Amino acid sequence: MRLTTAGSARNIGEAIVGRITTQNLPDATRGQCIRFFAEGEAPVLNLAGYRAILSHADLATDYPVVDHLRESDHFRDGDVVVVERDGFVRSLYRSYERHHSLFVTERCSSNCLMCSQPPKDKDDVESLTKRNQELIRLMSPAPEYLTITGGEPTLLGDHLFELIDQLKTSLPNTELHMLTNGRTFAWPEYTRQFAAIEHPNLCLGVPLYSDCVGDHDYVVQAKGAFDQTVAGLHQAARNGIRVEVRVVLHRLTIPRLTRLVEYIYRNLSFVEHVALMGLEYVGYTPRNIAELWIDPFDYQAELERAVGYLAIRNMPVSIYNHQLCVLSRSLWPYAQKSISDWKNLYLPECERCAALEDCGGLFKWAVKKHSEHIHAL
Amino acid sequence: MSRSFYPFENFAPAPQQVSLLPFQFTHLFGQELLVNEAGEFLFAPEGTTRSLLEGAVDVRSNLYKDLKAKHIVYDETSSPLLDVLATKIRTKYDHLSGGTRLHIFVVTLRCEHSCHYCQVSRQTAAKGEFDMSQETADRSISLMLDSPSPHVTLELQGGEPLLAFDMIQYIVPKAKEEARIRDKGLDIVVTTNLACATDEMLTYFRDEEIRISTSLDGPAFLHNKNRPRPGNDSYERAIDGIERGRAILGHSNVAALMTTTAASLDHVEEIIDEYVRRDFHTIFLRPISPYGFALKTKDRTGYEMERFLEFYKQGLAHILNINRSGYRLAEIYSQILLSKILTPQGTGYVDLQSPAGGAWNVLVYNYNGDVFASDESRMLAEMQDWTFRLGNVHKDNRRSLFTSEAALKMFEVSCNQSLAGCSDCAFQSYCGADPIYHHATQGDMYGHRPTSGFCTRNMEVIKHLFSFIKEDNPETMKIFWSWLTGSPLPAKRGTCD
Amino acid sequence: MIEEIHNQAPVQKASNLIQINHKLVSVEALLKTCYWFSRDFVCDITQDGLGQSIVDLKPKPGCRMALGDAREQFTAQAMDFALRERVTAKTSEVRDLLLAKAFSESGVLEEQPQGVFGDTLEEVKPDGMFKILSNS
Repeated sequence: MRLTTAGSARNIGEAIVGRITTQNLPDATRGQCIRFFAEGEAPVLNLAGYRAILSHADLATDYPVVDHLRESDHFRDGDVVVVERDGFVRSLYRSYERHHSLFVTERCSSNCLMCSQPPKDKDDVESLTKRNQELIRLMSPAPEYLTITGGEPTLLGDHLFELIDQLKTSLPNTELHMLTNGRTFAWPEYTRQFAAIEHPNLCLGVPLYSDCVGDHDYVVQAKGAFDQTVAGLHQAARNGIRVEVRVVLHRLTIPRLTRLVEYIYRNLSFVEHVALMGLEYVGYTPRNIAELWIDPFDYQAELERAVGYLAIRNMPVSIYNHQLCVLSRSLWPYAQKSISDWKNLYLPECERCAALEDCGGLFKWAVKKHSEHIHAL
Repeated sequence: MSRSFYPFENFAPAPQQVSLLPFQFTHLFGQELLVNEAGEFLFAPEGTTRSLLEGAVDVRSNLYKDLKAKHIVYDETSSPLLDVLATKIRTKYDHLSGGTRLHIFVVTLRCEHSCHYCQVSRQTAAKGEFDMSQETADRSISLMLDSPSPHVTLELQGGEPLLAFDMIQYIVPKAKEEARIRDKGLDIVVTTNLACATDEMLTYFRDEEIRISTSLDGPAFLHNKNRPRPGNDSYERAIDGIERGRAILGHSNVAALMTTTAASLDHVEEIIDEYVRRDFHTIFLRPISPYGFALKTKDRTGYEMERFLEFYKQGLAHILNINRSGYRLAEIYSQILLSKILTPQGTGYVDLQSPAGGAWNVLVYNYNGDVFASDESRMLAEMQDWTFRLGNVHKDNRRSLFTSEAALKMFEVSCNQSLAGCSDCAFQSYCGADPIYHHATQGDMYGHRPTSGFCTRNMEVIKHLFSFIKEDNPETMKIFWSWLTGSPLPAKRGTCD
Repeated sequence: MIEEIHNQAPVQKASNLIQINHKLVSVEALLKTCYWFSRDFVCDITQDGLGQSIVDLKPKPGCRMALGDAREQFTAQAMDFALRERVTAKTSEVRDLLLAKAFSESGVLEEQPQGVFGDTLEEVKPDGMFKILSNS
């Protein structure tokens, strides 16, 4: 599903966030909206009061506008989009989707070998925070779940506390899941401030890649990261913040996977869930694929051992981003259909598969690299 | 501005200086068993401890990674994460926080049974002579709620407490009211042979949310042999009481414990089968009580302990088979030890703790107001041994009980970390101290470990459980874990969980 | 039980005698070993004043261990106790610290986080969030 489009921009200062509308709205209700004219549609003349106008056709106006729009078949009424001054239009929120995220920064204090969103050393915190504050105001209907992601959200400092506080007030029933490397939480003072927001329904998703310092630090490419993450998880638990641990499965994490879950069980017993994620062939992964690649079909024994370890101890565990045909049958109860709507596809073999309905399929970039063992069941 | 990737050596340089964290070790099944300060264990090759001391462990090996992850070693390349280890240790002692939780009230010594192993009961006493008075009850309730624990358990015992049912009816509302005023949680359980339990009594217990703990020593011939009473029908009455109790209070509110006697030792499978027949899902293979008999010779104790260990091992094997066939039956002693070995949680079982449970975790208020450190110490008093009498509810308060000479003497020898034999033991964090047992069997609270039945029993049982852990049979481990997590038994075929 | 005997050559032949070199096994470790054998044996220890001891294992009535096995096990256990002493010596300080941390009520003994936490942008700021946290 398309996320972005672009066109020719005029009269735009700062980025504009607004809700798509294809209708001629009464004046009083235009204030939050962006008037969109589809391909072949001629723009109307009464355009006052909208935040911006998007059009395929050429449009002479003094209002903020992006015309000569390239693609727009992905727009629907109610979508929240951001219009940049260079004519770039990004969809931020589509209520009909299953998964929603709040992207807060591209900055990160780690540099994981398999990062799907490679960090940029560019200070985007102010601009993205402004954008997200407006986005939160416009998220309607309120999503059931929202993932706060980046980069590393804690690098926002106080802005992160403001955003979470705003979410607590504006979207009180939305469950938050924040993806973070957890390292900043090693600071007791930071964690106390975070906990003081008292968001009623928030869980941290923190990656841990080994029980072994050197192995983890190497995967995340940051010295001291393991110590900080473990200390951070402890501080979070001490302050009543819920946590989940995530592990990306690849050649560097598979060999000690059972030792890792053992470490989690004994040292991080407060963790409420362990998420085992398949490798995504995107971001940094292609560059490092030689070190990272192991066909999921070939690590089923280790995966069964690790999942079994957690399951008999009643520690909730889920497997994400794996196709059912490469997973041992005993692991199917743990597989989540998790690939979000704009990322998934199925291969030709999949069309004949009896388990198609239950399977999440593959990421669209998996076309370039996937298990040798994909087959119809 | 694109970032670079750095090689492995940047993040995992070879450590130059390996340091040790505190650990114990022993030899087991041809390997070395290392146990850290938080009770986490690791099976390592023989000679690992020596290698560690000589700096000869290969720092690039998986063994080294395991030792580091298990908090047995650390090095200069990373933080030892002492706070994490300290938290794990603290968690293991969680059951100590809050003070005494279990308070046993001996409401009467009268009993119509004359069980061989009981030292306390009075069969012919008239009502009143050996019953708890209202004044004593009032003081005991008050002292019970002086405990800092936010939640206390009141256990009504005897003799046979139902023979003083009116005293129970006095105590229960008083205790509940005072607990309410003092904002403490209160659980009540009555330990009874059920022989004279009327439906009225059972209904009362249901209405007051009181649980029942009764005795079932095994099939009729064994139970009645152990527990004589007029009419020799202890078993039949117990079964009848259990069935009526379950009907009125609900299945989960009636529990049974067994007492092992010399007569029991040849019948472990029959005892277990009886528990299955009676639809119980927990059983406690307790060792023969040493209390009350004339001080046994070392040989006799040793021989009896050997026979008990056979009893236990055979019993556990039978229990595992029963579980394998789909009937969930947990053996409590094994479960307690497995919890200490395999889980990060602390376990509050008063007879297997360090510091020992006496006074810290349990207090016994006798019918006459005497306060004892444990049930066993009350039995010693019946033989004029007052060593563990801490005081009396009519004279003492909590402070004077805990600072009495009896208490202080006992506390001095309550921590196995500082006892000869225990201080170097690999099983120290799984075992405990029992000054009362050692006083009763060896005449010395401190205890002589090499001849101690407590030591022999626990060492053997722990080793036996480690044999299962080492073997790691998936089916057996799933059964143990279903006991530990309180989950149902796994389905019999091939699922991962 | 412990006698000082001067100029006595160490006896090696008798099967119930064990020679202990106190360079390898301290007196303390030796005594601990004897403690564990005291169920089945009386342990007569004779120090030769030259850093060695001879242990004479005398089976008690009801002793269930063969003398040959006992010698082997005695020596092995003595070496184990010697190892344990060395472990204790190296770890007693950190053990005290661990127990103090485990039972401390406040966060007084908590460690301060170490290392670099931010990205390069945060680290170069004079008033970066991690600098503020360090000073709080």
